[in-house]
Amino acid sequence: MSEDQVKENQPTENLPEEEPVEEQIETVEAPVEETVEPAPEVPEAEVVDEEADEEVEVAETGPEETLLLPRDTLLSAGIHIGTRMKTLDMEPFIYRVRPDGLFVLDVKKTDDRIRTTAKFLSRYEPSKVAIAATRLYAHEPVKMFCKLTGATPLIGRFIPGQLSNPQYKNRVDPEVIVVCDPRADAQAVKEASTVGIPIVALCSTDNEFAGVDLVIPTNNKGRRALAVIFWLIARQVLRERGEIGPDKDPPVTIEDFEAKVTREEEEDT
Amino acid sequence: MSEKLSLVTCTSCGKPIPPGSESTKFLCPNCGEIQIKRDGKCRKFGRLYKCPKCGFQGP
Ligand SMILES: [Zn+2]
Ligand SMILES: [Zn+2]
Repeated sequence: MSEDQVKENQPTENLPEEEPVEEQIETVEAPVEETVEPAPEVPEAEVVDEEADEEVEVAETGPEETLLLPRDTLLSAGIHIGTRMKTLDMEPFIYRVRPDGLFVLDVKKTDDRIRTTAKFLSRYEPSKVAIAATRLYAHEPVKMFCKLTGATPLIGRFIPGQLSNPQYKNRVDPEVIVVCDPRADAQAVKEASTVGIPIVALCSTDNEFAGVDLVIPTNNKGRRALAVIFWLIARQVLRERGEIGPDKDPPVTIEDFEAKVTREEEEDT
Repeated sequence: MSEKLSLVTCTSCGKPIPPGSESTKFLCPNCGEIQIKRDGKCRKFGRLYKCPKCGFQGP
């Protein structure tokens, strides 16, 4: 849908040759998986701008910083791993570009937005929060999220009219929606815009803000990353609501949130 | 819901929000004290908004 805008928004300089956006599911899935281990910050990496420069310091001097999970846990889940594309919109959330051309998100900003999102969502009646998950790897995390928090899952292909067509008998009527990827979940974004409810979106380095009211900068494609992000938001929502103590964990683990699918199934998506 | 929106101005651009324009409103995600209003255009173009109370900047 926003292919043109995506191209427009792309600064040309840092971009190595890259597959077109519409191939997103296949093209970006691959780097996510393969880059999980070499992810930690490479000190001699070229830093793209001053902002990133400052962030390097924050990152390296802040082992005592208060993240929702230890930095290593977040990094090993690849929560910060973006794609080889970046949009101008997402620039403020980008930490740096790796020598291999992959854009990496600032984990601290992800952490901040998880907290903000949880506060935001906890102000709604649980069942009035809908979560749209078209992408396969997001199905299990979203199911678990909804089970824990009472939100309404919209999993798999988004049926046109599901939000916006009053004639549709299985229509849902949320007051806020979270989408796993504004591009993969474009139909949900479109309908949520039409009905005028706020839209929260997990956004990677290649997403745009179009239609989105609140961004959570994160790897929104990786299996482990999606498990971690939804587990963290769920935990934080429960803490905000006072359903668990401020330093307590929910009764389910991150592993429980993780999609159990084979490579073949994944190819089918 | 959208009737009320027609009477308010967009937090992003400050213009009055026309009725039925794919606008939205929500409490500031951060402080929860101020109602953020965004018209359809500002949402569509991903324009920034800033909470006048706590300074939170979205989206
Ligand atoms: Zn506006
Ligand atoms: Zn505020």
